[in-house]
Amino acid sequence: MNDKYPPLEPLRPEYRIKYLTKEQLDQLQEATLDILESVGVKFPSERALKILAAHGAQVDQDTQIVKFPRDLVFKAMKTVPRYFVMGARAPEYDLQLQNGTTYFTTDGCGVQVCELDTGTIRPSTKADVGMMAKVADYLPSIGFIWPMVSAQDHGRTSILHELDAIWNNSVKHVQSETIMGKRECEYALEMATVIAGSKEELRKRPQLSLVVCTISPLIQDESGIEGAMVMAKAGIPVVFLSMPCLGTTAPATQAGALAMGDAEIISATVLMQLVAPGAPVGHSMMQAWADPRTGAYISYPRDARGRYGVVEMAHHWGMPSLGACYGTDSVETATWQSAAEPALDPLLAGLVSPEIVTGMGLARTYTRLYPEQIILDNDLYQRARAYLSRMEVSDETLAMEAISKVGPGGHFLAQKHTRTHIRTSLVRGVTHELDDNSKYRDPHEVAREQVKHIIENHKPEPLETAQQTEIDRILAAAEKELG
Amino acid sequence: MFNETPLLQPIKPREHYHVVDEGQIETLANGTLEILAETGVHCPSEKCLNIYAEHGAEVDFESQIVRLKPDLVTASLSTAPRYYDMGARSPAHDIHLDGTGLYCATDGSGVETRDFTTRERRPSRKDDVAKMARIVDYLSSIGFYWPIVSAQDHPATAPLHELEACFSNTVKHIQSETVTGEELGKYAIEMARVIAGDDGTMRKRPPLSLLVCCIAPLGQDKEGMESALQFAEAGLPVGFMSMANVGSTGPATLAGTVVAADAEIVSAMVLLQMAYPGTPMYHSFMPGVMHRHTGGFLGTAMEGTLLYPIGVEMAHHWGVPSLAGVFGTDGKVPGWQTASEATTSFLLCALAGAETGSGLGLVESCTLLYPEEIVLDSDIYHRVRMELAGLDTSRKELALDVIKQVGPRGLFLKHRHTRENLKRRKYSELTEQVDPSGKIRDPVEVAREKVDWILSNHHPQPLDAAQQAELTRILASADREIGGSQ
Repeated sequence: MNDKYPPLEPLRPEYRIKYLTKEQLDQLQEATLDILESVGVKFPSERALKILAAHGAQVDQDTQIVKFPRDLVFKAMKTVPRYFVMGARAPEYDLQLQNGTTYFTTDGCGVQVCELDTGTIRPSTKADVGMMAKVADYLPSIGFIWPMVSAQDHGRTSILHELDAIWNNSVKHVQSETIMGKRECEYALEMATVIAGSKEELRKRPQLSLVVCTISPLIQDESGIEGAMVMAKAGIPVVFLSMPCLGTTAPATQAGALAMGDAEIISATVLMQLVAPGAPVGHSMMQAWADPRTGAYISYPRDARGRYGVVEMAHHWGMPSLGACYGTDSVETATWQSAAEPALDPLLAGLVSPEIVTGMGLARTYTRLYPEQIILDNDLYQRARAYLSRMEVSDETLAMEAISKVGPGGHFLAQKHTRTHIRTSLVRGVTHELDDNSKYRDPHEVAREQVKHIIENHKPEPLETAQQTEIDRILAAAEKELG
Repeated sequence: MFNETPLLQPIKPREHYHVVDEGQIETLANGTLEILAETGVHCPSEKCLNIYAEHGAEVDFESQIVRLKPDLVTASLSTAPRYYDMGARSPAHDIHLDGTGLYCATDGSGVETRDFTTRERRPSRKDDVAKMARIVDYLSSIGFYWPIVSAQDHPATAPLHELEACFSNTVKHIQSETVTGEELGKYAIEMARVIAGDDGTMRKRPPLSLLVCCIAPLGQDKEGMESALQFAEAGLPVGFMSMANVGSTGPATLAGTVVAADAEIVSAMVLLQMAYPGTPMYHSFMPGVMHRHTGGFLGTAMEGTLLYPIGVEMAHHWGVPSLAGVFGTDGKVPGWQTASEATTSFLLCALAGAETGSGLGLVESCTLLYPEEIVLDSDIYHRVRMELAGLDTSRKELALDVIKQVGPRGLFLKHRHTRENLKRRKYSELTEQVDPSGKIRDPVEVAREKVDWILSNHHPQPLDAAQQAELTRILASADREIGGSQ
């Protein structure tokens, strides 16, 4: 690594915990198999139904419901790779997924932006995606990037413009959670091939990956699953994300919601393995709760204990997990709620080691971007990272000589040992910055200043001119075809 | 008529974990023993020095330095009970320390209060201790009460007036961190005896415990140590706390501060076991990190907060329960900072198996009382409690039959299972509260309202008239002997 690419700072926990026991994981997996076998999942795609039927799934063409014999599930799941590579424009930032390392991304995909200077709230644009990609490029806590908001100024091709905005402002891996549909995915693939240089290189170090949502209860999205098949064939990693909502689209008990969401993810994973055995696939579940009084979608009730058990469920299937952190329900940023809800997340997630995690920076249940919030969320992340790190216990850090010299009742200020270590002993967060009068500053104000500084001063490596020309050409063709 | 006090809801993690590996703990403990044997601690009390000397410590009476050989430390600590009970005025609220649960106290002893009614910032007083005792009594997150602020309207006997305000307004266990010196200690124990009824009950179900601060580096406080001995004699639990500050009163490395602070605590615990073997004790390590520019004590600097769960591990190494440092914040008003600083160290201390922790409810590095902060902290407390309780994957919770009935594309909303179980889900009482116009309310404002509601509606079981009269009599004679109220 050189100065141009400071090393990433993933979570590497010194110690791990278990949220679910082996018996509970077996129980949940058995429930998933039971649901797949006896209830089935709806696949509203002719292409998908054909492939599933050919491999022995029980397909009802009328209802488009597919039931999966467990042998088929086990056979297909055998080819899922446990780890894979998420390539980056700068090879220094390639992510080799592995045991004990967790990379975080930004959140996505909001629809509103609160402007830094004016405080005005307005619909999000492509420029916002680019601006936040630049901030994410700068932060070592961010391993890869989701388009944080929607490029609503580009209509149907917004999803491709989001990729363009990120590749122009960051050298890190891009994971889109908005690209859906066969043609859209083909255009995205074409763009990613330009970035990689060739199809082979893209397969080896895919600079793009995709998140595809399932629909609870027990449905695959037509354009989502068709796009996923395109990506899987090209070797692009696809993460299936289920978002069961307790009480409306899922049972009102957590275990039931988890088993049902798992069935959605596993049924899609099986299809990918049938389409392209060995295709890199990730597992992700973010359950939410329906507020019985308002019907509102709550992602942070006081009892949310299943949230990180889902990581273990992914690992139990032998798949990498995309964990879920952050995304406060608070309408505004820098409030008590915007810290109380997500502050535990990076620690709870780090303790169970999902390979990748989303995502920092949005408020109002993933819908509103406050540019400075990523700095506050980053602060929570760095706290967790410190906690998960090993404390150095050595002759030098035990400081026995200094303690003996100072003895009872003295102070350590004059010690050489203190002078050597004091600079590194206090790792300052946004909460301990001083103003001119040596008073602690408001962390919100510090965060706003930091994000402004990054936006104004950070200069990520630009795309080569030839690459940019190619991407512009692809975008123009997509606009012509898709409108 | 009085209101029932809700039962305690301790944090019971499904499993406990080591946050430091055992090899490292061993290295740290050996560091402590080396300091105690070679450098020693300063103890400015003749009474204590004599006890140390009688039991084989190397005592220099002139410099008042005590050195303890490793064997003497280990042998002395072997009589300390690993667990014990912390009694309460109501037996249903006794705390049975047994290694399965973490019970939390409020923070203490702040010096300023944001007034309950006028919201102005002013010096704290006895009535604040009393009002907060009622709030504590109501909250299931609070296992025991530290007088949360200082009764500054009773300068000389403030610690005793704080106890009276506590005992009169909550049925829970009280832990004082302000009773120091034999004069105050004598009266405090007398008050505890009135609450317990008799000496035997006071030993078995002690309604009061004491916290004594050491003076970093490597010093003990004369008054503190002498009241510790008094409490130990009466069978009341005593804990020792070190608040070493990385870089000023501790070395500028974390490991160095751990061993220097641990040596202070261990030296004091050894004394108590020498004098009164079997005395219930606890170990409390609440360090800070010095701010390089201001010299300030930061309880929540990023890396420094790892010290709190390590303190828990050290307590367990010495075979005593821990009072973990949880919730303290350097934030100035309830907001993003107070919430962001509270959570992580709390979660890790719980995972490490802390038996007790302090504390909820203060801001500005434990000096300023915002009445609503305790309600906000309680919300975080319950979040952590539920995160750590583990998931129920029984057949009933899996709801397979329900999923089969609803099937793909269905809606669970109408199902009976949903109606029955949605009610059981735990939502925050602060977030996502809707006002009459349908807008989500500010949780801090909701918390403020909750404080007012508790004060208007919760009236815990009062003391018996005879007990109350006794406490008043004791306070009067203390005021007379030590110095009256202003």
